[in-house]
Amino acid sequence: MKKGLSLLLSLILVISLLAACTSGTKTAEGDNKPPSSNEKVELVFWSLFSGGDGDFMQQMIDSFNKENPNIQIKNVKLEWGEYYTKLITGVSSGNGPDIGVSHTSKLPELIKQGVVSELDPIVKVTNQDWSTFNQNILSATMLNGKHYAIPIDTHPFVFFYNKTMLKQAGLLDDKGKPIMTQSAQGFVDFAVKLKSSLQSNQMAFAFPSKGDDPYRLWWALYHQLGGKDVIADDLKTPSIDMAKAVQAADYIKDLYHKQQVIPLNLENFTKSFQAGNAGFFMSGVWNTGTMEQTNGLEFGVMPIPKFFDKQATWGDSHTLILPIQKKPDQNRQKAALAFMNYIADHGHVWAKAGHIPAKAKIVDDAEFKKLPYRSDYVSVADTVAFNKPSAYNWALKTVIIRNLDTIWNNSVPTEDAFKKMLEEMKVVIK
Amino acid sequence: MKSKKLIGDVKAVPFLLPFFVVYAWFTVYPMLKGLQMSLYQWTLIRQMDYIGFANYSAMFKDRQFWEALWNTTLFVLLSTPGMVVLALVLALFANMRTRFRTFLRSSFFLPSILSVSVISFLAIFMLQPYTGFVNSLLHLMGSKAEPFWLADRNLAWVSIIGVTLWWTVGFNMILYLASLQEIPDYLYEAGTIDGATDGQLFWNVTLPLLAPITRVILLLQIIASYKVFSQIWLITRGGPGTKTRPIIQYIYETGFKNNDLGYAATMSYALFVILLVLSFIQLKLRPKEEV
Repeated sequence: MKKGLSLLLSLILVISLLAACTSGTKTAEGDNKPPSSNEKVELVFWSLFSGGDGDFMQQMIDSFNKENPNIQIKNVKLEWGEYYTKLITGVSSGNGPDIGVSHTSKLPELIKQGVVSELDPIVKVTNQDWSTFNQNILSATMLNGKHYAIPIDTHPFVFFYNKTMLKQAGLLDDKGKPIMTQSAQGFVDFAVKLKSSLQSNQMAFAFPSKGDDPYRLWWALYHQLGGKDVIADDLKTPSIDMAKAVQAADYIKDLYHKQQVIPLNLENFTKSFQAGNAGFFMSGVWNTGTMEQTNGLEFGVMPIPKFFDKQATWGDSHTLILPIQKKPDQNRQKAALAFMNYIADHGHVWAKAGHIPAKAKIVDDAEFKKLPYRSDYVSVADTVAFNKPSAYNWALKTVIIRNLDTIWNNSVPTEDAFKKMLEEMKVVIK
Repeated sequence: MKSKKLIGDVKAVPFLLPFFVVYAWFTVYPMLKGLQMSLYQWTLIRQMDYIGFANYSAMFKDRQFWEALWNTTLFVLLSTPGMVVLALVLALFANMRTRFRTFLRSSFFLPSILSVSVISFLAIFMLQPYTGFVNSLLHLMGSKAEPFWLADRNLAWVSIIGVTLWWTVGFNMILYLASLQEIPDYLYEAGTIDGATDGQLFWNVTLPLLAPITRVILLLQIIASYKVFSQIWLITRGGPGTKTRPIIQYIYETGFKNNDLGYAATMSYALFVILLVLSFIQLKLRPKEEV
């Protein structure tokens, strides 16, 4: 009898465990029930912003929630390195957010994966005015003439310089701008002259020897030479203009190894600049906010020099997207769109993080012009060489960076590195 | 009699079932699913195309796969001897009857309780150029050298192996220590009476009696080292270039960054087969009486 009881008890245990699993999914579904139109709409926003970016985004969300009691945005900050993987898996399992972020360069991949909803059907109802956006930024977010995202900024690769150090080296003019001839040789002369004036613990050019930033500089120089992306117009054939790619890479490599104006393998180059130990560095505009808050640092920002034939730089944009839902609800989507436009319209807040707002009228706005530094580089938005809308941009970027790194550390000859790069690109695109 | 046994078996079922369900759902099913995936072009959001063995033939031609596999093998070859010998040496120290016994034991084992992210950031902090602890120490001792511990191919391996040794050798040491304490004292007494020196005692008594545990450590170590990923990912990201990228990192990047889960599953199966063969060889090499 007793044994029969234990058998019964353990059976109950198993069944209740199984029951717990099924009832769990049921309640989750219940939460997704679409609200009626006058009900309060709560939208989930997945973002990848951290640091200063994260703070200013939260500030905009808070003021939106206050101004729109019927629409409440819940901001879920995800870790940037894992953001896209989570977004893709979240959407595919039907647990995606109502609003998401995408870089312009990543957008085609997300569209191909079936993660992003087209905006045009919803926009028809809400009378979206696309003409208020900077057209260079906006057109990079369109695919086959369709809108998929609301761009909120562009964040190009720019040139930061330490005014105090440049002045000591006699390289700063009366207007506080560097004295530099805009050419490949002019830049080298500038850096070498600066280096000769420095103390032993200082460096001319603070720059990492691996990763994204040297890639961005290479991208800029490659486009200044007339190169055009690393993928053909069919968006799936790797295509590198070898002569230009090698010329650009060799020029950068010489800065490390021949002129030695960049110390090798710096662990944290922006910190070196913040500490006042570096004459200049190049990186994304998002550094502006951080540098501004550094006490006693007198610095300036300007577009990167025109090394070669035409002005061009690396850049990308943050855009807001509507991830695909299992059961799309127009009311929620309209509310989401209202939020997305609100963020785009409040570009002057976003600009405090350093970004250039995507709306043309904000850039001309007095409030934006009041912000120091931004007006020095706002023109860059028109010279950004965006990626072509290929679904392989990010996968290719990983391959490029890895192989460029072997050029910078002088372990592989430049031509060989590009050959290996091209071969690996073909493995990625198959 | 027979029916009683049957009843006993039936009664065992509900107790085993919860574990079995979880095991089948989270281990057996994913394994079979992985085999299926390796025959498909399979993306993160399950756009699937059956492609037969194309992933497998691509793998054999993929130079990146072979490089990554070699990197992992190199890590195993470089780290395993140190992992075993150093563990033994430390265990011998920790087994000495001195006043510092507890101190030695805890200090040898201490790094093992730290998480991989902690030891990796410590390593980066110690090894970074210009301001890192190691290079600053070199400068203090009058050296003008500026070795790039994490950016030079060979030094990066030295750094990774060194950090891994420091981090995980404590666990093997504990295994050795337990085994050392199981060696009965009378063997040493008998040896001493027969006039054996300390060296002879070590080579003829201690070492042979540690052979079984050494085989266990070797097996565990090789399998664990073949799965190396986290510390390399956190310290060098597989760099410079791909020179320290292990196979697991390549599998991860293929699956989750390049969105090609099918090919990632294929390579996982290749690694699985390698580990299976290695374990099999070790089991076969083991003397009969121990099994």
